[in-house]
Amino acid sequence: MILALFSVWWAAAGVAGDGLWPPDNVTLSEAVATRNNGEAVRLMDMGADPNRPTRVRDGLLTNGYAVTIKPIEAAVGAQRADSVRMLLANGVLVDHAERRMLLCLEQTRRDSGVRELLATESEDHLECEGVRSPLEQVH
Amino acid sequence: MVRAALRSPALAVAVLLAALITIPLADSLYRVPIQVSDSLEPIVIAAKYDSGRHLLVDSLTFSPTTFRPSRYLQARALLALTDGTGLTHHAVFRGVHVALLVLLVGLFIAAVRVREWPDLVAFTVALPVLVGVHTFLSMLLEAFPVNHFAEVGVCALGVFVLAQHPSRWFVPIVACALLALSLSVVESGAMVWVTVICCAAAGLRGIDRTTVVSTTLLFGGYVLLRHVLGISSPGVGGHGSGFGDQFYSPEELTQRFGAHPLGFMLYNVTGGLASLLFAEPRQGVYSLLAAWRERDIHPVVLINVISSAATTGLLIWYAVTRLPGKRSTWSDVDRTFVVACAAFVVNAVFNAVYIKDEIMSPGGLFYAIATFVAVRALVERLPQQRLAIASLGAIFLATISALWAFRVAGVHYQLRYDAFKTRNDWVEVLRPDKHDDWPRDPDELALTRRLRTEAIDRRTTSPSFMPRWADRYWVE
Repeated sequence: MILALFSVWWAAAGVAGDGLWPPDNVTLSEAVATRNNGEAVRLMDMGADPNRPTRVRDGLLTNGYAVTIKPIEAAVGAQRADSVRMLLANGVLVDHAERRMLLCLEQTRRDSGVRELLATESEDHLECEGVRSPLEQVH
Repeated sequence: MVRAALRSPALAVAVLLAALITIPLADSLYRVPIQVSDSLEPIVIAAKYDSGRHLLVDSLTFSPTTFRPSRYLQARALLALTDGTGLTHHAVFRGVHVALLVLLVGLFIAAVRVREWPDLVAFTVALPVLVGVHTFLSMLLEAFPVNHFAEVGVCALGVFVLAQHPSRWFVPIVACALLALSLSVVESGAMVWVTVICCAAAGLRGIDRTTVVSTTLLFGGYVLLRHVLGISSPGVGGHGSGFGDQFYSPEELTQRFGAHPLGFMLYNVTGGLASLLFAEPRQGVYSLLAAWRERDIHPVVLINVISSAATTGLLIWYAVTRLPGKRSTWSDVDRTFVVACAAFVVNAVFNAVYIKDEIMSPGGLFYAIATFVAVRALVERLPQQRLAIASLGAIFLATISALWAFRVAGVHYQLRYDAFKTRNDWVEVLRPDKHDDWPRDPDELALTRRLRTEAIDRRTTSPSFMPRWADRYWVE
């Protein structure tokens, strides 16, 4: 009976909106931060710029504050090599300075797959002093 | 069923409850995109052929260990339906999946035969068992691209429902058709023949000698055809499987058990049965052993083991105290119970080479039917007991019912999770950085692209936005 009532509530929520656990309304960076590569591709297909910083709400990559970051920064922050590769394949541009910043971010959120995708021969000796993390809180 | 529902208020309420529980489940199931693994390839192959006949002939030799011609023919028929109706591939393929779910629940209602209020009480426990048992979820998650395990379940339950009614001239024909369909989609289709034999052995009146002989001949013909075509059964090492508290790859299994497989096969058969009766092991792996070693037990394991063990305890109680020793004195309800138990016990033998929850999925359906019979007997007996015992019995039923209801809620969660993962799988198809891997054939490319677009365009929920505690309580 409880299950039936739960199901009625579930069905009613479905009629009223998208039901329990509805699909997320997310920015491109949030989609990447939540491992939602399918949604990221959909957003890019709809015209979202993969090089543009967008907001990532509190609790996904940071605690206590939201950040506005690029999707590839979200992918490195979320330790998702598959997302980094997907973004690179979909036209994300990473210059030398940004690559260094991403590799420094990877040092704080280790992922060998991400490191492999971003690393180049010239960055054997990575120097991260003075490099600001995109996940830091901006005051 | 509609006429019967109008005659019996208890049945009407049971149908209503089943509908209320099935509709949201159908919604969760429909949200899962067509799979990449197991589905994309058969669909593409089915679309390539100029005729169904060519496809049928060639499909007989697609694999040295499987005989599943209807997999491709069904995919081809659904592609034609997609083209003919203008519907999306998702609507057609996933719609069939949902239809199979509805059929399974409908056949379950027909099989348990709710007539009076105590039946309804038993039904409110048995339905959550049907949907909440892990083999049901594993069955829902399959799709090749039509869900063959659900088809086998529908066919086995169909035969079982026929067997409960007086024998009619068409029963052998329908039973043979259901068996032929099942055997042509997946090897577990043999469960339909097992159901016929179990029904006949228990003395259910709908299965007469003609049905037994005709289905046995058909099954024998199937085995012979496989032999003629040189199709062998996979041996140990053909598929990964668990042993103890670890999962082993096919290579590791060959190395460890290849020379002397009998002990491992016995482990698998008993493990397959235990997985249904006690929710352990899963895929051959005893999570409790791993939890003991790591000193960390997930609540999901406890919930599943406790609910399954308590329900199995009820079945044992019924078998020991309520089932008469002589077959001739069995009532129709007793026969139903015996068939259901025999079917899931024999189903366990199908796990001999490797354990997989899906293989036990027909057994899971029969487990729920046996649960209905046992709970019905307990409900009938409670008023005759002293108040304290009756109260304890009622609390026991309410508790296992609540645990199973919780497991059903987990089915929604895991379907959402599967929808998310399956959609992400499509991102790896037609990758922009791997143009060389794209299909060369323009039709194949167009079909793949369309399937991918349909999957990507269907928005799903990321687990990041679902309750954080859910994994520990619902996912093993």
